[in-house]
Amino acid sequence: MSEIVIGIESTAHTAGVGIITSEGKILSNQRSMYIPKEGGIHPREAARHHSDKFPILFENAFEDANLTPSDINLVSYARGPGLGPCLRTGATAARAFAYTNNIPLIGVNHCVAHLEIGLLEGATDPVLLYLSGANTQVIAYASEKYRVFGETIDIGIGNGLDKFAREAGMGFPGGPKIEKLAQGPDLLDLPYSVKGMDMAFSGLMTAAKSKLDSGHSIETVTYSLQENAFAMSCEVAERALAHTGKTELVLGGGVACNERLREMATIMAEERGVKCFIPSKDLCVDNGVMIGWLGYQMVNGSYQITEEDNRVHQKYRTDMVEVTWR
Amino acid sequence: MIFRGAEAVVEKIEWQGSSAISKVRNKRSYRHPDLEKRLVTERLRSESRVIERLLSGGVLVPALYEVNVEKSQIIMEFLEGITLEKGLRTGEYKKYLVSTAKLLSQIHSLGIVHGDPTTSNFVISDDLYAIDFGLSTFNDDAESRASDLRVFLESLEAHHSEILGREIFLEAYSVWNSSKEVLEALEVLELRGRYNLMRG
Repeated sequence: MSEIVIGIESTAHTAGVGIITSEGKILSNQRSMYIPKEGGIHPREAARHHSDKFPILFENAFEDANLTPSDINLVSYARGPGLGPCLRTGATAARAFAYTNNIPLIGVNHCVAHLEIGLLEGATDPVLLYLSGANTQVIAYASEKYRVFGETIDIGIGNGLDKFAREAGMGFPGGPKIEKLAQGPDLLDLPYSVKGMDMAFSGLMTAAKSKLDSGHSIETVTYSLQENAFAMSCEVAERALAHTGKTELVLGGGVACNERLREMATIMAEERGVKCFIPSKDLCVDNGVMIGWLGYQMVNGSYQITEEDNRVHQKYRTDMVEVTWR
Repeated sequence: MIFRGAEAVVEKIEWQGSSAISKVRNKRSYRHPDLEKRLVTERLRSESRVIERLLSGGVLVPALYEVNVEKSQIIMEFLEGITLEKGLRTGEYKKYLVSTAKLLSQIHSLGIVHGDPTTSNFVISDDLYAIDFGLSTFNDDAESRASDLRVFLESLEAHHSEILGREIFLEAYSVWNSSKEVLEALEVLELRGRYNLMRG
């Protein structure tokens, strides 16, 4: 019999409620994003946004799916990693909903959810290139865990792009604005920082800003910035593919909505002879659907819900999760 | 014999009548052509400079025969033998661990960090040789050196969990008179969350 899971996401900017069936049919994917008036994300302000929006997101999700709370078999929420106030808001919403309706509750890892939603696209044992605001990692499964094979050693790629955009006066979120402005084919010399399977972005962002200040056009600077940042990410993913011998690549995270990144990853996969799975943009960004999907996979596997699942974990790293469901 | 790595295609070829290794860096057409050219040239130059420096410093590495920037190719001496990875599965693994530590400290003492000193990047021929300097840099800070040690220890743990190589290796490395600072940096490095969790 088909089971229905509701997933709740609130690790950073996005409050999300998704409903998905055990067969992977998406019944609703509701999202609302906190956009700061100025500067970067303010955790308390973001949490306030989420608590304001959750009631309507739940309501819309049920209306969209044409279901009532009694149809739900499992509540899954993102335990971490993320910003404390935001995580607690999502956890509170999840607990309140689960306890009121007497439904089991599970807490899942946000980064793993980005990978596992790629399995819904047809991947079976992929390397995930996960590029979002705070998270920039290359993840793959190896001996009972999702392991981080490469990652940023300073700032997340998305936060870097946002910071550049903010300093260039573009506002938030910076990634899509940079993508729109980027215009080749002229390429400026910018730092390309890959160290083994790790990468660094802060020097690149600073150098791009100083190119802009020295009179280069915003079109050329944003273009060069994208070319460098995405080539670095793809190179690291490529190294992880070679190292692990895996033959599938999945993209995830908000930055994976970028068309140029998608193009580069596709070409890289083709040249290496591996399959490339790119989830739709709705599933690349933070969303409740992937949280629900992972929760179902875990419960359906041999994962036992514990007391721990009730608690958020700001620094819940990818490689802390015991993968018992595969 | 052909090996297709993340970075390059490595092949055994004939060069001026003898066996040699050809390493051709992969073309990556996802990268902007200017960026691709810059990176290939930079990395090729850096790799050959590192090999030259090591050779002139008397470290056991394959001799450099030819560098061709246009073809992004390096031709080097072919070493007949087995990788350290295989060597560590023999009865003589203690001896090999000591040689590896000595070789790595020699590399470090010349102001170079290897960048990827896994057990597959050492070859046991008439003696122990270090190979693959594709990620090497001129660098003499303790943390980068410590990161070399970490990479080696990690590859040891991953493939050879049955042998207790760590102590033997670190003891042999500590013979080098500048090793103290590096070993301290290694301790700090290993206390960082990621490495602890990755080992767990």
